[in-house]
Amino acid sequence: MATTKTHALHTWDTLHNNGPFPLKKLYITELEGDGIIPNRIDRYNDAAQEIQRLIKETHEANQGFRAYGSAWSMNNIAHQKDRMHYNGFMNMHIPIQNEHLHANSNYLSSNLFLFECGTTIKRVSEVLSAHGKSLKTSGASNGQTIAGCISTGVHGSAINVGAIQDYVVGLNIITGPLQDDIIYLERESAPALTTAFANKISKRVIRDDKLFNAALVSLGSFGFIHGVVIEAEPRFLLKRYVKKINKETAMQLADTLDFKNSNFKIPEETDTEGKGLTPYHYKIFINPYNTEDTDCVVELMYKKPYSPNYDDPFPIIKQSLYRDLIHLFTKMAEHLPNSIPWLVKKLRKTILPKVDEVLTGTLPEIFWDAPYQGPAFACSVGINHTDSGKTIDLLSELTRNEGPIPGIFGMRFVKQSNATLAFSKFPVTCMLEIDGVLWKKTRKIMSLEEYSRRIIEVLKQNDIPFTIHWGKNSDWAYPNLVTHMYGEKKVNDWKQARSTILSDDMAELFANKFIKTVGLYKKEPHTNEANDLLV
Amino acid sequence: MMNQIGKKIVSMVLLILMTSCASYSIRLRSINGAPQPDPVSNRGDYYRGMQVVEVDTVIKIDAMSKDFTYLIKTNDQCKTGKLHSVEFKNTFGGSMLSTITFGKKRKMKVKYVCMKPTN
Repeated sequence: MATTKTHALHTWDTLHNNGPFPLKKLYITELEGDGIIPNRIDRYNDAAQEIQRLIKETHEANQGFRAYGSAWSMNNIAHQKDRMHYNGFMNMHIPIQNEHLHANSNYLSSNLFLFECGTTIKRVSEVLSAHGKSLKTSGASNGQTIAGCISTGVHGSAINVGAIQDYVVGLNIITGPLQDDIIYLERESAPALTTAFANKISKRVIRDDKLFNAALVSLGSFGFIHGVVIEAEPRFLLKRYVKKINKETAMQLADTLDFKNSNFKIPEETDTEGKGLTPYHYKIFINPYNTEDTDCVVELMYKKPYSPNYDDPFPIIKQSLYRDLIHLFTKMAEHLPNSIPWLVKKLRKTILPKVDEVLTGTLPEIFWDAPYQGPAFACSVGINHTDSGKTIDLLSELTRNEGPIPGIFGMRFVKQSNATLAFSKFPVTCMLEIDGVLWKKTRKIMSLEEYSRRIIEVLKQNDIPFTIHWGKNSDWAYPNLVTHMYGEKKVNDWKQARSTILSDDMAELFANKFIKTVGLYKKEPHTNEANDLLV
Repeated sequence: MMNQIGKKIVSMVLLILMTSCASYSIRLRSINGAPQPDPVSNRGDYYRGMQVVEVDTVIKIDAMSKDFTYLIKTNDQCKTGKLHSVEFKNTFGGSMLSTITFGKKRKMKVKYVCMKPTN
């Protein structure tokens, strides 16, 4: 039997110290050993029963419940003031066999895997590598759990791929304490699993595009996501180049994504006519305080077929900064904000990748571990890539004139998602992010919340449609923010889907302050529509 | 009198400098696997969020023994019994202790994190 340890705590914090937030109880569940329950499906279902027991216990205490994994989100999206559940030890996987594939499925069974919620991206990649497979994309690092990634829309910069939720094909969700409160949800238009197999891990099978798309980026509020079926692809290599190029050229590429007709090209990455190829990944680094330099650093990656013969991409030594030095820089930023441009310049070797470095590795080797380096912030807005150049100019100006703020900008590009509340909602979204050390407001420097608010105001004033990364810092209480970003229809679709999947009691139990703040919690009466969709 | 106090201060400063400069740590980390997490811990250093085992002791070895091996056991702090990362700290005091005891007493100041269990 899976076991849970309960800790009475007063506070909980994110990995990057964006709290602390109040808490009453922390649950930590571990699976039964495979010697005791050798069958994977049985062990998986055993864990589901344990989660249902915890939900029942929480419901009886009239409290809230929320699962979290690696706590990488930088706001209170993962937080629940009553009871939180750490699911990082729930990391089973089940490869999908051909006989489990739905008759109308276009997927290859060898590419499908069921991962339990707490499996980290690194572990997912290890499992996939052992099968000769790879994730299609990941974030910039690998420590997030698969359920955490999709719930908040974690993305990389894979121009033609999308974010992590975009290769999810099925969701196994525990929606309450009752026997029937375990559902398997997938798209009707793209079924993956047979009903017989889905019934082994759930009590109800729902095939519905609208519900599935809403539940994909659920902000942790559609219940306890127990398992995620993903579509992998054959393992590949990425060849990574870091170049210093003209800023104007870099922005023109961002605005057009026309690598074919650009002045910039990497000689090794051209077609037969000598035109530039579109990279798998494109990222621009902008130091907002360096107005004199006409160049900027860009990172490009090109996809290559996998071959075992490539140079080891890992260095032997990884250095980390003195923690006291980071603390000193933060204090300097708070009390002598004018020193920030100088500090950013001094730290550029730590912040920016080494120019002219060429590396080759698999996806998990390139996007490897990111050690903790102290309290951090990140504000990340999604804009149509055609607005990239204009937006970076506006936000750099804001950061210089009303800041300075201790961070630098990065721009990444993500293909459109089908998820209802995906911030990668534009045909290609440019995720424009400023990140750095977390500072405290003083008389001389505005607060992170004030800075975030100004970002929203500047984008609105300039009529630039935008979204905000769900797991990053912002002024989330800004009036009508979510409706402004997604439109009323999408917001209502998402709320309606939530009311369809969850009973009224469970809608309250799985809610938290974040979804109430952003206006996504509205007591809509539970509908029986989900029962009508059962197969 | 003042001269003596000055000498003492200089000696103290030198001793502090020697102690701190002769103390350094070395960390090894596997590129594979993940560290065992500790969701209850709230440490703010490199090991944030990790289940760290800290050993700070003096190991006494027999006159006939050349060295010793410290065994990593499987327990709640190390669920897999396999290592993810190890940090060894060399201190001035530790080196002195080994020198004056001809290697029979060895200061062991180690932090280690075990691999996270996989299922």
